[in-house]
Amino acid sequence: MQTLLVEVEGLTKKYKKFTLGPLHFQVERGVVIGLVGENGSGKSTLFRLLMNLLKEDDGHILMFGQKITEDDWKQKIGYAGELLEAYDFLTIMEMKKLISRWYQDWDEEMFVNLVKRYKIDISQKFSKCSKGTKKKVEFIFALCHHPELLLLDEPTAGVDLVSQRKMKEDMIHFMDDGEKSIVLATHTVDEINQLCDEIIVLDGGRIVHTYNKDEIYDHWARVWVSDVTEPIRQHPNVIYYNTIPLQIVTDNLEILEVALEKEQININQVQRLSMEEVLEYLIEGNES
Amino acid sequence: MKIPIHVSEESREPIYHQVETQIKTLIASGQLLPGTPLPSIRALAGDVGCSVITTRRVYQNLENAGFIKTVQGKGTFVREIENVRKEETRQKVVYEAFEKAVEQGMQLGCTEEELGTIFQESIKKYYKNGG
Repeated sequence: MQTLLVEVEGLTKKYKKFTLGPLHFQVERGVVIGLVGENGSGKSTLFRLLMNLLKEDDGHILMFGQKITEDDWKQKIGYAGELLEAYDFLTIMEMKKLISRWYQDWDEEMFVNLVKRYKIDISQKFSKCSKGTKKKVEFIFALCHHPELLLLDEPTAGVDLVSQRKMKEDMIHFMDDGEKSIVLATHTVDEINQLCDEIIVLDGGRIVHTYNKDEIYDHWARVWVSDVTEPIRQHPNVIYYNTIPLQIVTDNLEILEVALEKEQININQVQRLSMEEVLEYLIEGNES
Repeated sequence: MKIPIHVSEESREPIYHQVETQIKTLIASGQLLPGTPLPSIRALAGDVGCSVITTRRVYQNLENAGFIKTVQGKGTFVREIENVRKEETRQKVVYEAFEKAVEQGMQLGCTEEELGTIFQESIKKYYKNGG
């Protein structure tokens, strides 16, 4: 079985004021990748390139090991972006008729259940739906043909708390057999904590970090110390330091410990960082 | 199918080890009885906040050590463990907890006598109040 669902090599898209890429990354089977970055960092553009809705200027994308010239690979993908807006004069029922016809593996029973689960009124025009309801409808349409890969662009933005929890449950359930994958763009720390295995940080159109989530837990730390000397200030694994009280944030505790010992600095206390803090350092750190 | 697992922010112990020890403790103490279904690798990762790589490793270790079994297509379950093993695990967990406390005391510059006194007082405090 193909173990890489997505391979992206040197992918580049140029606009007048913004360039995405060159991007290199892979999506392995059984993995949830969290795509994080500030607004305008290129997340949605990346999704559109992956879906072949935009044409890349350079580089290439392999989906399920194949070039994306023909459209049949889309049968295996569930995409929730802003694809439905173009048909927003239709009711959700009419949309379903249009969409379900296209997919060989469309699961009508699943659609009926999900519509009930998320309390969607399918007789409503899409354009009349609230922002959160639109998101839920997109999510449902992304799931109902049993895809192998979900591409979700901020699926829970504007969605009520109960539905957010349900969507999280449905994503976990989707991943349960270990054969499928999700690429999830999100600003919600909870989703990264509970769903993601890997994290890609996008900034100004470039991937500035890729991490296995557990590496973050094991390596990042806040360390309270007896002194901060110049070599420590300049140390590449020191992300941040503060003088009152003396503390250092590091992205590699083991290496820092060696450096501190060399400087004869004592460690008073060590604490893991929360994902929220780490993400802030990762995203903001690139501005300086 | 939630199980009470808590990952400490203060601890230097790797996450997989913390989770593994806590599940062993739950099984050895009888809080998770034989046959109890455990959350899927993915669901446990969600609860703990780690990746499936870590939870997969935990389940593999627990399975190799005979604490749990995975039935293809059905899920993961707590196994019947022999009383000897149960006792071993119980002792090991308690020893590890005490050792951790001693380590912390030493870091703070406590002497052997001091730690002994604190130990005795702590025991008195808990057992006087009815355990």
